[in-house]
Amino acid sequence: MILDLTMSMAVLALMGALATIAGCIEDLESDVGSQSNPNSQVQLAPQMGFLHRIYNKAISGEPISNGLSAVTGGLVTTVLLDAKFYALTAIVLGAFVAALIYGIFATTAYAGRVASQSRFKQPLYMDIMRYTTPSIIGHNFIVNFCLVAIAYIQYAILGYPFTIPFLALIWGISVGAIGSSVGDVHYGGEREFQNREFGCGLNTALSGRIVRRAESGLRNSIDNVWFCAKFGGPATGIALGLTVFFSSWPTTIWGYTWKAMGVGAIILAVMTIMNRLLEIQVKNAYGPYKEDKKEKEAGA
Amino acid sequence: MAVIDPTMLMNIFLIGISGTLICLAVHFIPVGGAPAAMAQATGIGTGTVELAAGSGLVGLITSSYMYAYEPAASMTLVMAAGAMGAAIMLASTMLAGGYIYAYGVAVPFASAQVKKDPITRERQDIYVSKGTQGQGIPTICFVSGVVGSGLGGAGGGLIYFVLMGIYSPLIAASAAAVAGVFTMGVFYVNSVIPSYGVGGTIEGVHDPKFRRVVPKDVLTSFVVSIICGVIAIMITGGMS
Amino acid sequence: MSDIKEISPNTLALFGIIGGLIGIYLSPYAPAAGSIGAICAVIWGAEAVRRVAKYGLGTGVPSIGQIALGMGIIAAMFGLAIVKDKILAGPIVSLITASVIGLIIGWFAQNVIKMKIPVMIRCMTEIAASGALIIIGYSASVAGNYEFNNIVNLVFDNGVILAVFWVGAVAMLHPFNACLGPDEKQQRLLYLAGSTGAITMALMGIAALMTLGLGGAITLVLGIILWLVFYKKFWDEVYKDAASVVGTGLIPKTEA
Repeated sequence: MILDLTMSMAVLALMGALATIAGCIEDLESDVGSQSNPNSQVQLAPQMGFLHRIYNKAISGEPISNGLSAVTGGLVTTVLLDAKFYALTAIVLGAFVAALIYGIFATTAYAGRVASQSRFKQPLYMDIMRYTTPSIIGHNFIVNFCLVAIAYIQYAILGYPFTIPFLALIWGISVGAIGSSVGDVHYGGEREFQNREFGCGLNTALSGRIVRRAESGLRNSIDNVWFCAKFGGPATGIALGLTVFFSSWPTTIWGYTWKAMGVGAIILAVMTIMNRLLEIQVKNAYGPYKEDKKEKEAGA
Repeated sequence: MAVIDPTMLMNIFLIGISGTLICLAVHFIPVGGAPAAMAQATGIGTGTVELAAGSGLVGLITSSYMYAYEPAASMTLVMAAGAMGAAIMLASTMLAGGYIYAYGVAVPFASAQVKKDPITRERQDIYVSKGTQGQGIPTICFVSGVVGSGLGGAGGGLIYFVLMGIYSPLIAASAAAVAGVFTMGVFYVNSVIPSYGVGGTIEGVHDPKFRRVVPKDVLTSFVVSIICGVIAIMITGGMS
Repeated sequence: MSDIKEISPNTLALFGIIGGLIGIYLSPYAPAAGSIGAICAVIWGAEAVRRVAKYGLGTGVPSIGQIALGMGIIAAMFGLAIVKDKILAGPIVSLITASVIGLIIGWFAQNVIKMKIPVMIRCMTEIAASGALIIIGYSASVAGNYEFNNIVNLVFDNGVILAVFWVGAVAMLHPFNACLGPDEKQQRLLYLAGSTGAITMALMGIAALMTLGLGGAITLVLGIILWLVFYKKFWDEVYKDAASVVGTGLIPKTEA
């Protein structure tokens, strides 16, 4: 379907907004269940003698698990659309079924991983299972809803050649890849080792020595979301929002021409420069960890 | 249909090339795996496979859309569209990731594999925190990642373009679905193979590992992709 | 790794191949059979993943499930398409093609990339073959048979194939990934494989409601029943294997 410029920009903005929400919630969902790479520390902790009360949702890497829930949502939505449901109802029901299945996978991962650590005496806490799993399902429902909605817009309004499950799957993989690259660092690099000096850099020898006490009481996964929602989640949302918006924006304005490709290259250059500026600022602000040998000798 | 047809051979060759491009892309993208998620290694804190696939598939979305609405688009333009989509995805990821390293974990960006950044000429070793393999995404990694994801997206765009050319005349309505799924299969095979080669982590083009593993991974991917190409052509025999 | 006796890989491979093929060949008469065949293949594939991923792949367990279904889908499309009118040969040709692709990739991984995993070649072949059976089995229960053009119309066009591809891959890789740890046990893993396979079957039932109508409902209900059975069995094993299962409580005292 060919839309006029204003309408295309409106649709694009809506997709960007949905993507931003999806990215943010996806990261928080991975923190509430403790998933992906930072989970390696949670997995390692009992071995180091650090038993804990944190969920261990090792469904797989985030891209795969979010691809799983997004494609499930897309599939159920397609079936419901075929049965002449309203689009919004179909998307909501599809996202809900997918989130439930996702929750089932989460319970098996927590139970399975803890049962495989019996020699370290890590107990399986059923209260953690009972009140963290619904939270995972809830977060995942929002993610699915946003992703399937993006897929629906691309399929039904913009007329992409792929089907809803296909587009939902691709966005699920992307949101997972971005979530585990961006937001998880905040969880893994800072929250799990919050008792260390800020900015000290994490010596590999600290692996598995995660923080187990919360601001009050024993820390569980819900406490981790509370912290990561302040920075890790929103940053992930911005990354996915930028991806969805800027990957379509040049071609929306300039059409399918080399000019649009040139604009894409300019966007990339701007991002590279921003990263460089960030690098300079951080290096100046924090300084090096160790002094240069030559300078040391000169000082002596 | 003669199998020894120059066009067919060319198509098989192009599929082989696109698989190889995807394989190369994995080597360019700076991936630190699980340690990077704890700021214990330079690069992006996730797995090689999914990052290459995630960016490459975004490229597939942009290039397929272009193919659907500009049937006259040249092969290079479709490839460029794929490259742009994939590179923008990875650049936004690295930029947002950089903000977390900078303000969430508060570590300066440094590569542990080289003493000086080949692009900015800045010292790296003194910024590496004790007991780690570097942290964050220095400029060289960023540039390497953008180039790499561009290659992956271009590879995905190319294979889709070739397959659409083959399948469209035979099964007009389903061509996009079949070509898309096949592209995805080839994508995964070619992004897992090099991941095994690099052992899960690589810093990018400046990493000494890059020179060591690229030849054998590329050879593997090329052979496997050629086989996929032959299969893709032979599938047409069963279409009606 | 464990002292209780495990089911041998050969037995499981036979179970997967024979169960998978029988299920697929019965699918034109009862679509649900295709999914049940695929569950056999999932159980086989999960065991193969377990054997190879124990060595540590450097990229985590999930990558191997992805490559399995990547190879599987290419081989499945090829096998079903190439046989033209001799439809009966399709699944077997796919199985052989997948094994050959798996063998080649396994050989390269072992000898060119030099991964130094002794079971690499064999396991790569097994997971590719089970991947192909998973794809064909679940597709057949949505399409009603395993004829290529029918599958293209009923499974590819509406995007169900992506769910087969992805959920099938997760069904195969999740069991080992979820049971990863020093006290991992084969029996628990196999029950979990049955459970993930059954969830996929239920999902295929939902998809089949669209393509086949009432036949899909049978797949859906059977899938849910099978899932309940396997999920319960999995939890029984968890209760048996876990150090302790507690309602709530403080962290037990350890040296650290």
